[in-house]
Amino acid sequence: MRVTRGNLLESMREAFARLGGRLAAVILIFVVLGLASDVFLTQNNLLNVLRQAALLFLIASGLTLVILTAGLDLSVGANLGMSACLAASVLKATGSPFLGVLTGVASGLATGLANGLLVTALRIPPFIATYGMLWVLHGLSYYYMAGDTIYGFPPGFREIGSGYLFGLPVPIYLMFVFLAIGWLFLERTTWGQEVYAVGANPVAARLSGVPVRRRLVLVYTVSGGMAGLAALVYLARLNSAEADIGEPLLLPAIAAVLIGGASLFGGVGTLGGTLIGALILTLVLNGMNLLEVNANWQPLVTGAMVLIGVLLDMWTRRRAEEKS
Amino acid sequence: MHHRVHEFARRLAALPGVAYILVLQAIVFGSVAEGFLSPLNLTNIGTQATILLMLALPMTLVILTEGLDISMGAVLTLCSVVLAWVLAHGGGIGLALAASAAMGLAFGVANGTLVSYLGMPPFVATLGTLGMAQGLALAITDGQSIVGISAQIAFMRADVLGIPLVLIFAFVAYFFVHALLYYTRFGTYIFAIGGNREALALAGVHARAWHAGVYVFAGLMVGITGLLLVARTNSGHPTAAFGMEFDAIAAVAVGGTSFERGEGWLFGTLLGVLAVGVMRNGLNVAGVSSSLQVVAIGLLVIAALLIDALRRRA
Amino acid sequence: MKAKIKRTLQITMLAAALISAAPAAFGAGEKLAVFTKNNTNPFFQAVRLGADSAAKQMKVGLTQFVPTKPDSIPEQMSQMEDVIVKKPDAIVLVPVDYKAMVPGVEKLNAAGIPLVNIVDRSAGGKFVSYVGADDYVLGMVTARYLIKAMKGKGNVVIMEGVRGSLTSADRVRGFNAAIKEAPGVKLVASQPANFQRLQALQVMENLMQSHPAIDGVLAANDAMALGALEALDGAKRKALAVGINATKEGVDAIKAGRMLASGDYNGFVQGCLGTMIAVRTLRKQPVPKEVLLPAVVVDKTNYGPYDLPVDQRSCPKWEEMVKG
Repeated sequence: MRVTRGNLLESMREAFARLGGRLAAVILIFVVLGLASDVFLTQNNLLNVLRQAALLFLIASGLTLVILTAGLDLSVGANLGMSACLAASVLKATGSPFLGVLTGVASGLATGLANGLLVTALRIPPFIATYGMLWVLHGLSYYYMAGDTIYGFPPGFREIGSGYLFGLPVPIYLMFVFLAIGWLFLERTTWGQEVYAVGANPVAARLSGVPVRRRLVLVYTVSGGMAGLAALVYLARLNSAEADIGEPLLLPAIAAVLIGGASLFGGVGTLGGTLIGALILTLVLNGMNLLEVNANWQPLVTGAMVLIGVLLDMWTRRRAEEKS
Repeated sequence: MHHRVHEFARRLAALPGVAYILVLQAIVFGSVAEGFLSPLNLTNIGTQATILLMLALPMTLVILTEGLDISMGAVLTLCSVVLAWVLAHGGGIGLALAASAAMGLAFGVANGTLVSYLGMPPFVATLGTLGMAQGLALAITDGQSIVGISAQIAFMRADVLGIPLVLIFAFVAYFFVHALLYYTRFGTYIFAIGGNREALALAGVHARAWHAGVYVFAGLMVGITGLLLVARTNSGHPTAAFGMEFDAIAAVAVGGTSFERGEGWLFGTLLGVLAVGVMRNGLNVAGVSSSLQVVAIGLLVIAALLIDALRRRA
Repeated sequence: MKAKIKRTLQITMLAAALISAAPAAFGAGEKLAVFTKNNTNPFFQAVRLGADSAAKQMKVGLTQFVPTKPDSIPEQMSQMEDVIVKKPDAIVLVPVDYKAMVPGVEKLNAAGIPLVNIVDRSAGGKFVSYVGADDYVLGMVTARYLIKAMKGKGNVVIMEGVRGSLTSADRVRGFNAAIKEAPGVKLVASQPANFQRLQALQVMENLMQSHPAIDGVLAANDAMALGALEALDGAKRKALAVGINATKEGVDAIKAGRMLASGDYNGFVQGCLGTMIAVRTLRKQPVPKEVLLPAVVVDKTNYGPYDLPVDQRSCPKWEEMVKG
């Protein structure tokens, strides 16, 4: 893997420009909510929103890479649940945060690797491979936990999810760290560029020497690893593990990636976009809670937002194409 | 016509993986689980699989056009809720069924418009409509079941010549969709949209309208299936069928229909639905722990696709 | 490579076949079937353990039926149909939905299998007996405890369970009844959190923004109480909280002084009793038509018997339970 040279500042400015429309959306939502609810703009609430968005971003970031290759990873939620349960057991058994973290990440990576192999070596369509994996992981988690809850983790470990550093919740730092790492990887290394190439045109990529299968295995493994990492943050936050904690996270994760501008056809999308997508989603749900909108309407709003986001995206892209 | 029979025979000879799995399941469950092969149990498998089949049939059509419809479970739930609501408020079964079908149709039109005319990727479009259907179902019912309609829905439990009515429903639906796919222009266009869209455009056909039509048809079938779902539980419940579309997609894939290239086989879908239904029923009758059932279904999907992948290699 | 794949294929199919072939072990005595709602809520795991314990004591065989999709109505319906083929001698049933499962219950009635209803009272069908708790009384008694500890003054919030579930509705009614008795106590918000810890945490976080003064939390189950407590801890606020279930984790929180008290809603005992009644019916011994467990509030003074993990408990004696 080579690191490509170039003006870092230049690239960052470009990235911002591309995300312009979405950033405007975020600002708009801010203004609307700030006017609608007098508790929205409080420090506590904003930190809450950022923390929730950070958690969503962690799990959606790996998924972004997979979607960039025109694939899909439906097992991220179940992966998170399974990894959380395994990590929790190890934490309780050994009392060592280090071993717990190691278990969680290793479990996530292992599942991701399995997905990657199913897709590349056995040529199973990503949707079905990861869907089958979702079922298998759910079943194993339920079987392993047998309805129990594992709770009570060492305080050192809990800092990952509930701790504060210089006044900001720790997950937010994790979010920025992985955003930076991911962005550098995608924009500044050959491997990252190859991921885009595979998504945009796998045949052309292969013909130009890109080891397509290895890159695919890489993105699925990373997706799994991020799910494992996110599992640890959830564990630290909730202070407990149950078999199904990952289930409600799949659709919001996909929504965050898509609202962020990635295309399911591959080759288009950025981690910055996913971050903004996660932010938009979290802001809207937060607003609904603050305005005490009946929780029944939340799925409808989430669905509508996905549609609006993608439609706007396609419209601007078409306008840009027509101009050029 | 003749060449179609040939085609069927050829396909039968080159059976997909799911067929082997079905045979294996029949042997294993038949010998290990007492009562598995009894007429009662086999009838149960049939009735339990009907709702899934009613979803898997239109799903096959959608997948043949290289699309996906993940809103089916939520829309089915919403339609069943609407149907139950009408019955509970004094409407007749005709009105209730019409309302349910209309709701399904509405969502079908929405999906078709988003995918075909606005060019949205099907997964995203139907993800959006899924959320909307889910929200509507919860909002109409505020989370409660709608009950008190057992008398009006009782007719669905009748047997016709010893066969449960719902099974007859399933047969009729299968043959209808089969005819639609293999004997009408609509069916030809469906294969073309999946496999060769350029040829379609060159032939001067309004591909977009037909493409949307697939989703509209799916919506209509889902609306009608609302009746079957209400009949099963004598009620409308706001979360009854969530997630069922994934089972339908798995059944279609296991049955041998490809997600790309517009290749597929409706009979394969039937086998796929049966494979899933037999697996669930067999494991229940054999008394296997429920969590292992989940693992088994995941393995089933992977195994069927594995066999097909190997065959393609060989 | 091909040979390796072939071998993997064979092992997969063998595994699938073996899994399919593992039958339930039935004792020499009667065979029972127990239906619960899901694999994810620890409450139902306690019910299953209670049933297992009673079955072992009375030397009968037991098969557990749990929907693979948690709380899935069509799945439990299918399981009810499938169980008829197995011809169990008696069935202990927790209906996934107390209204929607009635047709299934009627099918079981038609097959002549004696049924015992536990936890959620079914809206129809014939049962030998019902074992449960009076959720309304339990909610009221638990809320009274909290209000007394608050000295009859202050703001409370209610964490509801799943909208539409009988358990949640009755408990919340009980909460409200107790609140009405105390003129100095004000209900500032009542929100559903689906009996889930993470949701309760997020709901509580949002509520804390809109209501700066919250003195008491009435949660319809322990998981939500604990989630609310996590939220309070995170914001460095304090409030008195009560839950319902008296789970081991809840008891630990009571011991540590974090949670005030918990209403006793004992899944283990309900599982025991339901199974005992089923077996006694088969053995032509007298059984009560209904057993309503007494409403007990578990706090720092009486948590002893609840401090044992569920899998180490044993069923109370029949004579003790039926008398009290």
